[in-house]
Formats: sequence, structure tokens, C-alpha cells
Amino acid sequence: MQKQKILAATLLLTGLLGVAFAQRLRVPYSAFPFREDEDQPVPADAGDKTEFAFARLQYPAWRSNDRNWSMRGMWSIDYPKADRQFVQGVRRLTRLNISSVEQVVNLESDQIMNYPWAYVVEPGHWDLTDGQVKKLREYLLKGGFLMTDDFHGTMEWDIFMLSMQRVFPDRPVVDLPNTDPIFHVLYDLDDRFQIPGIVNYPFDQTYEYDGIDAKWRGIYDDRGRLMVAICHNMDIADAWEWADSPSYPEKYASLAYRIGINYIMYAMSH
Amino acid sequence: MFELFFRQPLSVFQKGTFVFQSGWPVWLLGALVLAGAGLLAWFVWQKTRAAGWSVLRSATLWVLQSTMVAVLLLMLWQPGISVATLKKQQNVVAVLLDDSKSMALADGGAVRRDEMVKTLDSGLLDELKKRFQVRFYKVSDHLERAENHKALNGEKTASRLADGLKQIAAETGSLPIGGVILMTDGADTSGGIDRETVNALKGRQLPVHTVGYGREQYDRDIALVDVQAPLRVLADSRLGVQVILRQRGYAGQRTKLTLKDGDKTLTSKEITFAADGAAQTENVLFNAGPAGIRTVQVQLQALANEENPGNNQMTRLVQVEDRKPRVLYIEGEPRWEFKFIRRALEEDKSVQLITILRTTQNKNYIQGNVQGDKDKKELEAGFPATPEEMFSYEGIFIGTVEASYFTPTQQTLLRAFVDRRGGGVLFLGGRASLADGGYGASELKDILPVIVGDRRTTFFRDKANVELTANGRDNLALRIEEDPARNAERWKKLPFLADFQSAGTVKPGAIVHVDAVTERGRAPLLITQNYGRGRTAVLATGGTWRWQMSQPLEDKSHEMFWQQLTRWLVAGTPGTVLASTTQTVFTDDPKIPLRAEVRGKTYELQPDGQVEARVSGPAGSAQTVILSPDPVHPGVYTGEYSAEQPGSYLVEMVASHNGERTGTDTIAFRREDGVAESFHTEQNRELLERLAAETGGKYWKPDNTNKLPEEIALSEAGISSREIRDLWHLPIIFLVLAALRAGEWLLRRRWGAV
Repeated sequence: MQKQKILAATLLLTGLLGVAFAQRLRVPYSAFPFREDEDQPVPADAGDKTEFAFARLQYPAWRSNDRNWSMRGMWSIDYPKADRQFVQGVRRLTRLNISSVEQVVNLESDQIMNYPWAYVVEPGHWDLTDGQVKKLREYLLKGGFLMTDDFHGTMEWDIFMLSMQRVFPDRPVVDLPNTDPIFHVLYDLDDRFQIPGIVNYPFDQTYEYDGIDAKWRGIYDDRGRLMVAICHNMDIADAWEWADSPSYPEKYASLAYRIGINYIMYAMSH
Repeated sequence: MFELFFRQPLSVFQKGTFVFQSGWPVWLLGALVLAGAGLLAWFVWQKTRAAGWSVLRSATLWVLQSTMVAVLLLMLWQPGISVATLKKQQNVVAVLLDDSKSMALADGGAVRRDEMVKTLDSGLLDELKKRFQVRFYKVSDHLERAENHKALNGEKTASRLADGLKQIAAETGSLPIGGVILMTDGADTSGGIDRETVNALKGRQLPVHTVGYGREQYDRDIALVDVQAPLRVLADSRLGVQVILRQRGYAGQRTKLTLKDGDKTLTSKEITFAADGAAQTENVLFNAGPAGIRTVQVQLQALANEENPGNNQMTRLVQVEDRKPRVLYIEGEPRWEFKFIRRALEEDKSVQLITILRTTQNKNYIQGNVQGDKDKKELEAGFPATPEEMFSYEGIFIGTVEASYFTPTQQTLLRAFVDRRGGGVLFLGGRASLADGGYGASELKDILPVIVGDRRTTFFRDKANVELTANGRDNLALRIEEDPARNAERWKKLPFLADFQSAGTVKPGAIVHVDAVTERGRAPLLITQNYGRGRTAVLATGGTWRWQMSQPLEDKSHEMFWQQLTRWLVAGTPGTVLASTTQTVFTDDPKIPLRAEVRGKTYELQPDGQVEARVSGPAGSAQTVILSPDPVHPGVYTGEYSAEQPGSYLVEMVASHNGERTGTDTIAFRREDGVAESFHTEQNRELLERLAAETGGKYWKPDNTNKLPEEIALSEAGISSREIRDLWHLPIIFLVLAALRAGEWLLRRRWGAV
């Protein structure tokens, strides 16, 4: 209960900050006080103004009597190491002018409108308010893009859909065909496989709960452009986060980087 | 009054030459005048010195007496004026009677045509017949002989005065024409009296005397002066029509301005009239709709007691083109501007956008490149490097791409793309654009509308607001709101840009449409210029995408801006054949000049081809006209088509070279009869006065023509003789002599010398 209060207070604070900075394009970087990896150094160029920033979406979590389950999933999982390590790869592999640090965004203010690409982790634990649902729908229909990751199995899918169906009651979630441009915009990713989280170490099993098969899903707009890219039953962020670990298999990290880069390139061209 | 003192009309003195009839030498006159003045000086000096007069008084007396002696001596030499006059009954006077419809108008109850007959019947015709043979002609849409001045019907709907006068000058070459009397309201429907006509009349030494009918100014009238509409637009474009009008008697009142295409109302607006007589301009915007010919009828609703409602409507033809210009957009790195420009133009069915995005150092992502043959994809080798490939586009956007990315050949081609092909190039701001991209040292600097420097720190990721300049406020491509004032305010309220760039120094001739207002000051943001046959623009930002993300979902300002800017960039880009004529609506004139500028595949002028114009007219009529190469302008072919029937015509010009078809272009025009006669129905006195003055005639009012026969007689145009008219007995001479003597007597009395 104490942690939930902290989270609620944090959300309120960031919402107020968002309103305060609504007239500024980019909020100057400051480390968010709620992090999984506390020891990440702030890069020297963190203050540089760039075209793109890795925007991590902050959301209120689903309330459950199972405290362990509740703490298992929240918006800041893998933050900030996964974000920063992925960004390094994007810098090295593409021409994108990307910030070395992530940007935490929420659906309380219009600040998210300055970041037309956003990443949400563990959406199997999110519980959006009506105002957040409305803001997310507006964001996506205007041209924003949302990538979801790291939620597994039937229960988390159902919780994810409870909010997502309120965002788009009339739009179906579909399995993405291999021919979709998102799998070819930079890398051809016809052969995809499940990317396990670090909890699967030593990776004899790559799935969690009953999420046995990786699902590449999405929601399209009226012109056939993807607005929401849903990576279900996989943990791409862990692959980014542990890419520097000899214990984490390279093939998973490599695919995770390619997926992330393709999703960004797609969002910036469609 | 003049004739009271001089016994001759002023024109006699203007046209005649001064002579002495005594036969005595003129030098003797001068010598005697000098001798007389000398003698008088001696006598006056002797007499007045003795009387103690001042020098001034003596000199005054001497001047008066000397002048009188000089005038008397002058009269002894028998002065006269030699003037050429037409011989009686040996010359013809051509009387041209305006028989057009406008002469049936009534001004204050009197019909112009009746007034014309009345002028002739009230003595003028009799006086003319005493001196000359009189021939009557009726002039309207053509010239024809008339038996008398009463054989008028006024049914013709055109007045081609210039054609009539030219015909008179040509057909009467063997006749002793002493002069021409043109009786008209001056409402010429063919565009006025041209220089060629005036020269033809002057060449025959034919003075044209004009008699003007009709009111020179209405008290209550609303009139369309002109309607300016683009000749061609792309389908679904926002079309701007400029309506110029003038009114009298309705200042401050309101009426309705309506634009229709057949029965369909395109748009309408309420307007308030400006001051009486002032030209007033109204801009009207509407959607051009699908491809086809729009016959735009502009109508001003008539108001109560309007004296001439016939001039409240005009028609213009607008060709909504059935083509989809191709625009190539190369972007040097992934950025939001690219995505949102693509999305804005995806909603425009009239433009095809093909994009190259440099995702990595050596990989391009191509979009929109699938043509008819799906197996053959364009741009796989990257940015075009041949004229055939590059010139297949009508417009090119260059994003944040370093100048050095383009090879020297590509840079030369880009310049030719604008200059020769007539395409449009838009340079976007960015961290590798303009000065930061090294454009100042590249060949591309020539086509930029700005002079960029060498400084590499001109791009800023800071917020910038936007404001329209005076030019931008007039630019229809920048209209988000229809009303200009509301539009300017709307621009100020647009969300700030994500970034901006210092574009450089604006080149002479370039136009700044939008300014960026930043913390660093104000700087040009959107600059355009014409270059060769094409046009270029700089939009010194990559941050307009915020207009999409930071405004309500239903707001379309971002989409409208990009769609309209793109259409501006490519709408004027011609194909290999550029067909044209002089106007879209030909009034009362069946002669339609046709012109085609023909170029080859690489847009070099093609002077050795063949061009035929296939004309489709009203009621399914069709005819082919072969155009001839213009000897002066290589690649230009001209011809003329005679469109006798009123209605709309479509002309497809087909160019071929060595038997192979190289290109086509289509234009449309409309023929109207009888419409122009309702315009300019007030008497065009200025035209009539100018015509008379340039040909040696005079302008006459109908109730003051009694001196006209005598004026015509003073002419050398026909069979004439010279006569000398005495001047010694002019009343003015007697008055001068009397005044000199009386003046001397009065002065003497005043000085006490009498």
C-alpha cells in the first residue's frame, strides 16, 4: 500500500510537471526517481537536443490482492538501462539523431504529443483512467505510435485489453503478417522467434505463464498504418538491458535490437 | 467668340499658313518698320525733352506710336491665311453609324440611336450634303453600306469600331474621302482602337470626327470590371478567384457575390460596397472539385433601380486537370517531419508522393514507388542520376541532405529540373540543410532563393512561432482560413515549430511569405522564387509536425499547409507540350490563336516536330488544325482556329517527332456572343477624343455639331484646293489700332499733356 501511495504521488507530480512544461518542446533531462537500475550513469550528452527520444510511457498499475504479482509489473521495469542501451544501438546502426537518455512521458498532460513514438512495458498490468484512455486515443489517431512489450499469458493479455479496448472499442487487434512493412522497413524480419526475459535464465524455457508462443500483433488506423505494435509473450526490453551480459544469448539481443529499430523506423515513416 | 474677332474658325489658323499678298518684299516691310520707329524715337525725344517728361513716359509714348505704325505697314502688305479646303461636291464624307445593341439603350428617356438620327436630321445632314457626297455605313460586328441614316435596327451584339475603321481606310482607297464621321457611344467590344487602326487612318490622312452619345457616367450601377481565375488547377485544389468590381450609387450597401458552375453554386459571399467609382477587389475561394472544365459564372446580385444590370455577370473557364503530379522527397535521416509530410500528402488524391529515406549510412527506404509494372521499381539505384528519370517528377523536396550527397551530375540535373523542365524544388531546413549542409559551396546555391553562408551553426532545435508577411497574407496557398485577416491571426496561433534554421540572405526577386519569430529574433522561414521555367522554395524548418500533434485531432491546418504548398510547387510544372491561347473566354471574336511549346524527352526545345490541334466544339463538332513552326521562336508552333459557334471548346494539341508521338496537352476556351455589349455601356468619351485627336479630327457633342461640316472642309484628305483668306479687315486689327490710339490719348490726359 505504501508503494502504491508513492506511485500515485509520483504520477501526480509528473502530471503537474507535464502541465508546467506543456509549452516546452523537450523537458530537460533529469533522472526519474523511480528506477529499477539505480547505478546507471547519466551520459555526458544527456542534455543535447535531438530529433528523437526514447519515450517510456508511465501508467497507473492494475490493483491486485497479490502483492508480488502487482510489484512484478509496472511502467518502470528495466528502466533506465534497457532504454539507454538500446539507444546506443540505434545510434550506431542508423542515421537517427537520438537522445542518449530516455524520456518518461505520461498521459496526464500534452507533453506526450512531442514524442510521437512511445514504449510501454508490462501493459499487462496497466489500468488507464478515462482521461488517459482519451489522451492515448487522440495521440495515436494524430500520428503517435505505441510499442508494447513484456507481458505474458492470458491473464496479462486480458488486463491489457481491458484498457486497450477502451482506447479503440471499434478497432480489432490483429496478428501482423510477415509482409507488413514494419518487418522490412530496415531489417527483413521474416524469421522471428520468442525473446525471453532474464527470468528465463538459463533459457531452457523462453516463455512465461501460459504465453508459450510469441505474438506479433497490432492495431491499424483507417489507412492501414500501424498505430499500436503489440509484442506479446516476449521480453524485448530485457534483451536490450542484458545485451552486454555474456549470460544473455546474443541471438535474442540481436533480434530485439532489430525489432526495436524497425519499429522506430516504421513509426517515423508511416 | 473667336470667330467674332477673327472672322475664321480657330482650325483655319491651326491648319493654314500665313502669307502676304502685296507682292512687295518682306524685307522692305521690316526696314520701313525700323525706319518709322527710328523717326518716331527722334521726334518723341525732341518734343518730350523740351516738355520735361521722364524717360519712362517718353518710351511708353514711343512704343504705342511705333506699334501703330508697324500694324498699319503690315496691313499694306495684305496679310492672308492660306488654307486647303475640300472642293464642293467632289469629296465623299463617310458617316459611320453605330448599329450595335448598346445604341438602343435609353439615357434619361432618349434612345441613343434616336438621338443619332435627330442630330443628322436637325441640319447637320443638309449642311453636309451641300458640301459633300455623303455615304452612310453601319458598324457593329461588321461594316456595311447603308442607304440612309434611318436603316438601323440595333440587333447586333458586338461593336468592332476598330475593324470598321480599318475597313473604311482599306476599301475607300480609290475614293476621295474628305473625312469620317463616327457616331457612336464608343462601347467597343473588341478591346478598343488599336495602334494599327490609327496608323491606317493616318496613312490615308483621314480625319475621324467623333460624335459621342450616351451618358458618360451612370448614377446607379454595379459593374464587374474583371474576373481573374487561374487557367489550370489540379483536381480538388483550393481555387482562388479575384473579382474586381465598381459601383456608383450604392456605397456602403451590401449585395451577394455568387460563383456558379451551371446550376451548381460553387460559393457565395456577402460583400459591402466601397466608395462610389472606386475599384473594389474581392477574393473568393472554393474547391475546384474533380477533373473537368469548370465554367465559373461570377454574379453580383442586382440592387434596386440599377440602371444597367447586364454588366453584373462574367464567365471564366478553369481547367481542372486530370493529372496526378509526382513529387519526389528525399530525406537524409529519419525525422518526424518526413512522417507527417507523408501523412498529409497521403490524403491528397491529386498528388503522388514518392520518398527516399536514408535510414542508415548505406540503405535507403523507398515508399510510393510502385508504378504500373510492379516488378519494376523506380529509385532502386537511389536519387535519380539521368534527366529521363529525374524529369519524370514534377516536384522535388530535399530534406536534411548534405549538398555533397548529390553528385556533380545530379546537382546539374537539379538545376536543369527547375530551369529547363519547369519543375519545383523545395528545400527543407535541418541539421544538414542549407548552410549546415554545405549548399553555399555547391552548384545548388544558384537555384536557392536565399544566399547561404559558410557558417555551419544555423540550425536550432528551439521553438519558433510563425507569422505571415504581407506577401504571405496575399498568398492563397497559405490560406488555412478563407478570410485574410482571420487567416493571419490563425497563423499566429499555430503551435510553435519544433526547430528552425537561419535560411540566409533573401535573394533579390525572391519573396518571403512566412517569418519565424524566435528568441533569437525574426527570420525568413518560407521563401520562394521563380527560376527559369520553374520555381524553388526554402522552408527553413523540419518542425511543422507539431501543428499535427499539438492541435485538436479534427484540425486540418497541417494537412492543408502541406497539400497547398505542394500544389503550388507542382501545379505550374508543364509537360513536354505546353498548349496555350490568349484567353479563356473569347467575346464576339471567332479568331482563336493557338500556340504550343514543344520539348523532347529531356526537355530540350524541339523545333523540327509536327503539332496538330484537335478541336472539339459545341454539338460534337470536331476539326483538326495543323500548327506551323514559329520562325522566330524555336520549338514554338502557332495556328489559328475559327470558332464560329458560341459555347465551350476543348483543344488537344498532339506533338510528334519523326512520326512518333512525343506529348500532348489540352486547353479549353469559351466563345460568347453579345455579352460584352452589356459592359462599358457608358459613353467612352476618352476613347473617342483620343481617336479624333490622333487622326486630326475633333470630338463633338451631339447638340453642337453645326460647325462640323466646315471643320471637315478644312482637309487635304480628298480633292482639295488652296485658298487665301484676307486678314487685313479682321475686327481684331481695327480694335488693336483703336486701342493704341485710345491708350495714347488717355495717357496724355493723365499726364496733363492734352
